[in-house]
Amino acid sequence: MTPGSSAGGSSRIRLEGATVTVPVDGDSSRRERTILGPVDLELTERRVTVVGANGSGKSTLLRLLNGLVLPTGGSVDVDGLDTRLDGARVRRRVAFAFTDPLSQLVMPTGREDVELSLRRVHRSRVERRSAAEGVLGRFGLSHLADRSVHELSGGERQLMALAVVLATEPAVLVLDEPTTLLDLRNTALLRRLLAGLEQVLVVATHDLDLALDADRTLVVDAGRVVFDGPPAQAVDHYRALASRP
Amino acid sequence: MNTAGLFAAHLPGTSAVHRAPLWLKLAGVLTVGVVPWVAHSLTPLLVTLGLVLAAAGLAQLPVRRVVRSVRAIAPVLVLLLAFQWWAQGLPYAIGVVLGIANAYLAAGILTATTPVTDLLDGVVRGARPLRRLVDPEVVALTLAVVVRSVPWVAGSFASVRDAARARGLERSPRAVVVPTALHVVAYARSTGEALSARGLTDPDVPDVPDEADVPDDDTA
Repeated sequence: MTPGSSAGGSSRIRLEGATVTVPVDGDSSRRERTILGPVDLELTERRVTVVGANGSGKSTLLRLLNGLVLPTGGSVDVDGLDTRLDGARVRRRVAFAFTDPLSQLVMPTGREDVELSLRRVHRSRVERRSAAEGVLGRFGLSHLADRSVHELSGGERQLMALAVVLATEPAVLVLDEPTTLLDLRNTALLRRLLAGLEQVLVVATHDLDLALDADRTLVVDAGRVVFDGPPAQAVDHYRALASRP
Repeated sequence: MNTAGLFAAHLPGTSAVHRAPLWLKLAGVLTVGVVPWVAHSLTPLLVTLGLVLAAAGLAQLPVRRVVRSVRAIAPVLVLLLAFQWWAQGLPYAIGVVLGIANAYLAAGILTATTPVTDLLDGVVRGARPLRRLVDPEVVALTLAVVVRSVPWVAGSFASVRDAARARGLERSPRAVVVPTALHVVAYARSTGEALSARGLTDPDVPDVPDEADVPDDDTA
């Protein structure tokens, strides 16, 4: 299975002093609270994983990468495209997969959702249908293409959601806790699929086996990247953090 | 969250309803929606109901899907019937409920017999004259999201009602309405986020920025 044939497999993501602040709830003096940063990073590896506790800032860090969240300070750029100035182009390069595939799938069936992804790529209906058929075939999902997304199993839904976001052949795929809702069998299936992708992957996860399957791992804690290095050392660092009272 | 009713997914088929052109189906739905405004008695509404059910039969839509669809909005229709009966009298209340049920079923038949992508293409074509004011793709996407939301909201209402029943709060409208409203808001936010993440709400820009858009490394 080799989706993303034009993806190329390399990309440069750069965060410079990237900070995200939000207003403090119920505070009329407009005070703000920093939920992430400042973060300085340059990601050039093909497989990057991000680990950290719930609420540590992992998801916010990931959302910065395709402009879903814009930095309130500093900057984020992907292959020279600033997420603030060139959001549309960044999102064409960087696909985002959510934890819950039902958040991702907005059409009644997988085929219609893949075709929705391809609307801006193929204006002709015939070309779009043919391209969608190709995408579904590559992922081995043709037999599920016309079933309601609600009738698919958790693993099938996750695969369909990935097919949907990879249909446009992005260079980078960002995944936010992709195995959280999956059982062991589907987790293994997803890991095999991810291993075969040509895209650059940035994956936030609580699954430490998946975290180890990377070239580089970031540990996020209290809105800061507190460790950045080889996966095995990063996981040890995260375990030590988690064991603190 | 899903009720597997008429709005859940396109049901492929070869019936006359499936094969009818999109404009004709849309005109039919529009006509059904207009009937309550021009009807002076219940007769036209009952005739419309008969025609809508006949169309469902002609399209060979599974009866259980039609029933599930109606059951999903039944609590709302019952509340509406009670309120309108109290406020305007029984004949008026029945007319309101029939009008809504007819329009709901007609829209359900349209979505069950038409792939959403065909609906999108039709809406894009229809909205093309307005492209200076609004992106036809965004209009079509909005419609698609609305269609997708109907079964979700109905399913959410049913789940919340079950949860309220499990806690012995089935008689408390607040225990059903407030969580449903919160679910709907959360759903709208997650759907909006998913559409944004996929770039579906972005303007149609070329893949490569114009040279004038690219900051010079020396000056940036």
